[in-house]
Amino acid sequence: MSSRLRSNLWGYLFIGPFIIGFLAFTITPMLASLYFSFTEYGLFDAPKWIGFENYIKMFTEDPRYINSLKVTIIYVFAGVPLRLAFALLVAMLLNVGSRAVGWYRTLYYLPSLIGGSVAVAIMWRNIFGDDGIVNIALKSMGIDSIRWFGEPTAALWMLIFLSIWQFGSSMLIFLAGLKSIPASFYEAASVDGANFIQKFFRITLPMLSPVLLFNIIMQTISAFMTFVPAFIISKGTGGPLDGTLLYSLYLFKQGFEYFNMGYASAMAWVMLLIVAILTGIIFLTSKYWVHYESEGK
Amino acid sequence: MKRKSLLLVFGMILVLLLAACSSEGSSSGSDDGKVKLRIAWWGDQPRNDYTTKVIEMYEEQNPNVQIDAEYASWDDYWQKLSPQAAANELPDIVQMDVSYLAQYAQGNKLADLTPFLGEQIDTSNMTEDYVNGGKIDDGIYGMNTGVNAVGFHYNPELLEELGLGSEIPEDWTWDDYKTMSDKAVAQGAFFDTHLRPDVFFDYYLRSQGSRLYAEDGSGLGYDDDKLFADYWSMIAEQVEKGATPTPDALAQITGIEDDPVVKGEAIGIFQWSNQFVGLKQVAEKPLEIAPMPGPGTSDGLYLKPGMFFSVSQNSEQKEAAADFLDFFMNDVEANKLILGDRGVPGSSEVKEALKDEVSEAQKQVFEYVEWAETNSSPMGAPDPAGAGEVIELLETLAEQISYGQLAPEEAAESFRTQAEGMLGQ
Amino acid sequence: MTKKRPQYFLYHILVGGFAVLLLYPVIWLFVSSFKESGDIFITAGSLIPNPFTLLNYAQGWEGFGGYGFGTFIKNTIVFVIWMLLGHLISCSLIAFGFARLKFVGRGFWFMIMLVTLMLPYEVVMIPQYIIFSELGWLNSLKPLVVPAFFGHPFFIFLLVQFIRTIPRELDEAATIDGANTFQIFYKVILPLIVPALATTAIFTFYWTWDNLLGPVLYLNSPEKYTVSMALNMFLSNETVSNWGAMFAMSIVTLVPVFVIFFIFQRYVVEGISTTGLKG
Repeated sequence: MSSRLRSNLWGYLFIGPFIIGFLAFTITPMLASLYFSFTEYGLFDAPKWIGFENYIKMFTEDPRYINSLKVTIIYVFAGVPLRLAFALLVAMLLNVGSRAVGWYRTLYYLPSLIGGSVAVAIMWRNIFGDDGIVNIALKSMGIDSIRWFGEPTAALWMLIFLSIWQFGSSMLIFLAGLKSIPASFYEAASVDGANFIQKFFRITLPMLSPVLLFNIIMQTISAFMTFVPAFIISKGTGGPLDGTLLYSLYLFKQGFEYFNMGYASAMAWVMLLIVAILTGIIFLTSKYWVHYESEGK
Repeated sequence: MKRKSLLLVFGMILVLLLAACSSEGSSSGSDDGKVKLRIAWWGDQPRNDYTTKVIEMYEEQNPNVQIDAEYASWDDYWQKLSPQAAANELPDIVQMDVSYLAQYAQGNKLADLTPFLGEQIDTSNMTEDYVNGGKIDDGIYGMNTGVNAVGFHYNPELLEELGLGSEIPEDWTWDDYKTMSDKAVAQGAFFDTHLRPDVFFDYYLRSQGSRLYAEDGSGLGYDDDKLFADYWSMIAEQVEKGATPTPDALAQITGIEDDPVVKGEAIGIFQWSNQFVGLKQVAEKPLEIAPMPGPGTSDGLYLKPGMFFSVSQNSEQKEAAADFLDFFMNDVEANKLILGDRGVPGSSEVKEALKDEVSEAQKQVFEYVEWAETNSSPMGAPDPAGAGEVIELLETLAEQISYGQLAPEEAAESFRTQAEGMLGQ
Repeated sequence: MTKKRPQYFLYHILVGGFAVLLLYPVIWLFVSSFKESGDIFITAGSLIPNPFTLLNYAQGWEGFGGYGFGTFIKNTIVFVIWMLLGHLISCSLIAFGFARLKFVGRGFWFMIMLVTLMLPYEVVMIPQYIIFSELGWLNSLKPLVVPAFFGHPFFIFLLVQFIRTIPRELDEAATIDGANTFQIFYKVILPLIVPALATTAIFTFYWTWDNLLGPVLYLNSPEKYTVSMALNMFLSNETVSNWGAMFAMSIVTLVPVFVIFFIFQRYVVEGISTTGLKG
């Protein structure tokens, strides 16, 4: 057996499970939804072919769609960087070997463990309510209190705060990444007289870059797909005035509340295109800033 | 030490997995010649508990039938139902809401119950309007489990305190509503909290001899946009003068628990009669029910099916399912467990028997609905397919009007063009 | 030691204080679970339950329709164990293939894998449901658990990124010692990615614990319900929700996740220092 054939064989042996699963459970539904996107399909009736009509309608006749796209882009581009910066900061603070730190890590992770249950929505209503702690703090600083659930922009920021608050998963991945940087690197830098900031940019950031890439891509994808927080906080409406009508929420409404599954499918494929292009761009730039130890220096 | 704990963990995992496998095996097999029905509903803890008991009661009387219950919360329920419908895997009996009935019936997912009426399902104690609540096109696609009627649920103590009399008269009008609101505002109280756009605009239209949707569901049911403008101008004025909280203030409210009425900041709340019991439970205040403001109250009011039980088209046991529905609607003992939780029952016999069983608050609801029976008009066709989207459109426009971003006249026009498009599909 | 002290205190004041701030909502939830259900929103500003009651816990634990809350916890644990087995085995194998082996179509399949993450689940849900219904898998854990044995893109990508940070010299040394590809995976790589595997385990645990949509779609009989479904059943869209019981059971369901996290986070941060660097 030639070594080339052998390495191909090993490769497919290892990734085989993924390919089988993909063929068995994923490809057909994906293609089905692609087909539906060119049809008028109300879930319970037979799909009717209408060509590109859904796609055209989206960008020409549906202001709510454009609005949901806008809201989602703000959510992603404000939320993801803030969340990651915050997660990295906390991860670095907690990257210490003391026993108490294990408790801190768990406590900092707790908000994420609560996840997407309705209890979160209630907590958030309490905190951002008229007499909630946020408004009390604002008032004490001499700023007028804000109707967080009543003003579209404020409500969107509240959603962004919620996503920052649940920073635990990114933090944990950063922690795992930080831990795999050999301590000897820092020691060597200290000998050279590097200060904290120099160490961060010369060692931490480059060594962490593969993990950073992972977090950026995954957080961007999942931020675009965000559904549950918007759903529970706005009680399923996406209000006020569609201010929290994230893309996925609008898609859900079209599909399952208005029974326009064809239109919802078209929305989904546009979303796929947007996210794929964005991910592609991030991957392309990663050549310049991601450093893999396995691929030489 | 460490090894021991590891072994322990593995042992636990094994036991759990085995338990899971064995329990799965026992529930799926066993073919003992029984008729098996699946029934699904949405609901909370009390409803799940009593409905389970009703099922047990039925199984006791019909030992050849086994009924498996599948329940979930409202959101989860609908999430579950649409794929089941698409895959023709619906339970034999499904609980339906007015807003979804047309969609499922016209999608051919529900069975027409007409052949079972008078056979398995005894309707002799129900009015024709009651049974027709589940009518879509020419078939009955859901058995009404009970009715509700809108009204004004208010706090008479606060009313008196504000010098507005001891009770709201049965024949009050929108003009009374406005003048009473002025007086309430002058003393720093809200008169009411909010009128759900679709429900109360529809009421207003009906009281003027129109309705929100055309009977055949193909478009809007009113021709004069002035009706729209009049109604929403009135609502906008109420918000502006402070008789109704602004929409941003309303958005801050979590639920009925911190509603202005409960906190004693507003006199009352316009809502469906089935919501009265919950309101009274949280408010811990005396509360009364008044009808809607006139003129034209009896044209505007109608008895709305609280929910339905439908039989699915893919069911292979439609007769058996219909027989259970009959039990649920007509059995007095069963209804002593249900106690009007799914709306005021339609069977006069059941209603009579429940009078002494229900709570104080539920009694007020029964009395109001009884009054409404003779002071209302038939409901007409339920919400057409596409209504969900129209309702949201109306809510958005109403919000914009209340925020002062949109004049009622403009909204009227915009509503007509967009809604006709949604319904005309 | 004496030099370290002020810094040490500063650290704890800063990190500890910030934790309290972040945890305020959770503390509020905890405290509210001991309030009478009707008081929760009226006394929302107060962190002292008055009167203090355990009734919510009793009511919540009772469950509904004859199934106690313990049933739902047991079901969820079984669900979680299957998912853990599935993800840990499949994702590490697949990730090793993508990160270390050269084969035709590697880039293509990796791209396909990421693309599957980008299509909103809402639109593939119904066709997928029909597939599982044809297989006769409805009302069982199978539609949820079986796919886990074929990998999850998120974890595969995560593990790939970690494997790529491991110097290739280690593989080469093992090859010289006569190890085949599987042995390299098993003996060299696997021990070095313990932190990432622990991360996978933690995420799988709490995502499964939290998963609502999957169980809602595929589990029909209440005796099979998971905690996430059960929690929603304290809510009512018509009358009054039992917030007290819901909060109480939220706290109860938080305990296992909390404990698991506390145990496993050690492996996330300690894995490498005990196993790596020696080789």
